[in-house]
Amino acid sequence: MLNLLGEQLLNGIVTGSVYAIVAVGMTMTFGVLRVINFAHGEYFMVGTFASWFVIEKFDLGYPQSVVFAVALTALLAIVVGYFLMRKMVGAPFENGVLATLGVSLILQNLAVALFGGSYKFFNGGYIEPVELFGYGLAQQRILIVIVCVLVFIGLDLMVTYSRMGKSMRAVSQNIECCEIVGIDVQSVVLWTFVIGASLAGLSGVLTAPVNVSVYGGMGELITFKTLPIIIMGGLGNVRGTLIAAMILGIAESFVAGFIGLQFRDSVGFVTLILMLMWRPHGLFSLQSRF
Amino acid sequence: MSQLQETQQTWRSGLRLPAIILMAGLVLFAPAFVGSYSLHAVVIAMIFLLPALGLNLLVGYTGLLSLAQGAFFGVGAYASALLSIHFNTPFYVNVVSAGLISGALALPLGIPALRLRATSFVMCTLGFIVIGQAISKNWISLTRGDMGLSSVPKPYFALGPWSFSVVSTAAYYYLALAVAGLAILAFYLIVRSPAGRNMIAIRENETLAEAVGIPTWTYKLIVFVLSAIFAGVGGSLYVHYLTVVSPLTFQMYYTTTILIIVLGGGVGTISGVVFGSILFVALSEFLRVAPEIRMIAYGICLLLIVFKFPKGFAPVIDKVWSALGGQRA
Repeated sequence: MLNLLGEQLLNGIVTGSVYAIVAVGMTMTFGVLRVINFAHGEYFMVGTFASWFVIEKFDLGYPQSVVFAVALTALLAIVVGYFLMRKMVGAPFENGVLATLGVSLILQNLAVALFGGSYKFFNGGYIEPVELFGYGLAQQRILIVIVCVLVFIGLDLMVTYSRMGKSMRAVSQNIECCEIVGIDVQSVVLWTFVIGASLAGLSGVLTAPVNVSVYGGMGELITFKTLPIIIMGGLGNVRGTLIAAMILGIAESFVAGFIGLQFRDSVGFVTLILMLMWRPHGLFSLQSRF
Repeated sequence: MSQLQETQQTWRSGLRLPAIILMAGLVLFAPAFVGSYSLHAVVIAMIFLLPALGLNLLVGYTGLLSLAQGAFFGVGAYASALLSIHFNTPFYVNVVSAGLISGALALPLGIPALRLRATSFVMCTLGFIVIGQAISKNWISLTRGDMGLSSVPKPYFALGPWSFSVVSTAAYYYLALAVAGLAILAFYLIVRSPAGRNMIAIRENETLAEAVGIPTWTYKLIVFVLSAIFAGVGGSLYVHYLTVVSPLTFQMYYTTTILIIVLGGGVGTISGVVFGSILFVALSEFLRVAPEIRMIAYGICLLLIVFKFPKGFAPVIDKVWSALGGQRA
């Protein structure tokens, strides 16, 4: 029993790390743009597909495919960010919802149109199990947790000390003042979005060896899971997102382990609705910022 | 008000009356000269018109952007399928019950959801679809899970000893036409009623509406329930036409299609929604566009709507209409 408990906890932490890397990009984008990016999970999907594609067609190694996938996602994000996201500064919320839904439809179905709708097998990564605290764990899973920790340390340092990070915080507090003091709001929005989307792509590639299957609709599920996390973490709150992602990951893994696998994907949305009802401002702040 | 006078003035002159007669004739006698596949495309469009009218009421008259239409559409489909499979009820009972069940479900869901603002409301309504999908997949004793319910009876009518079934596409066309016509009439009556004017007031300025004594929250809840009823009726019509229903009904596909009909056609108008369902459903069904290509097109349309045509594509139709009336738009 204790063994199973520990195993589910470890699984939950790994899942939570995956979610955290995706969700932090969404929450940062929301912070500067006030737009819930319904297409965010699609960058996760693009990352996975890019990696799968170069491994299958060009016989590249997994590490190279990670670099390629993140670069491609970043490039895509620059295009989408430049032409769409940047222009949504100060627009009514409906525009953000509809435009990102549109992007999501285009990316998701483009993947299906190009590569077919069937499930694909992802062949790569480090799936050798290693012993850790008496539990067998694939190396890839440990890698995911390490990358997650590094990403969050990096983001925290960036947001606190770098000029870019300071502008991001400024934009998330008051867009008009930023414009007055000469911060280029549109470019801050663009680069925040690019960082966020690339992280989603990175998370996609890191998860692919664990999830094994690659398919066009995979991004939608990730978007759905990101929503409760960013609400729990408090919109725009980077550290809160990490904790919220861990909570959801562990909760999902316990539900899957002790209640039934088929209920795992419902946990997120039940959480989302409960959070929206009772604590729409998140678990860690006292009042709503937005 | 001025718009109303303008309409009345131009009504008398021009080519509008012939255009109406021509269109009515086309609609009434379509099965006589249109192939059965095109007829099928139009039937699907008329079915999607119902949830779209519901969403139009919600977006166009109270300003609430909801993604839950697909969920209520699915609820209506399942309710109607289960009723006719287990109790072999006639069509009118199914349609009415499907609408009422969806509406009854919308009430407890709407009470908490409508406390939310803007994006939170959108996310919450998205949640309803996901929960609908989870329930339809996992309540296997009722819904048969992923297998779905198949061989749902074709609609039949019974009045005393006399009964008949709607089997052919042409017959279903008239059935769908009748239901869609009634729905448009209901929509028109709702919008033109004093309640409809209050709804518009809420859309235009909620704070002001509240200040002049309109119970805005109650109105939103009523409209949310009404939109679910429209969607439920649509779902019932859909399931009896296709005779199958599965958890796939709770895919984003349906909600997206409904959304694009309303926004692409033109929010807050009847003609816009009719136009939207013909353009986005009938045309793509008729051209046999692959689903993924269709969704890509929908995505591009959404971006166009946001960045280029904030009023949807209906103003184009209005221009034609004005031209028929002998005016310059």
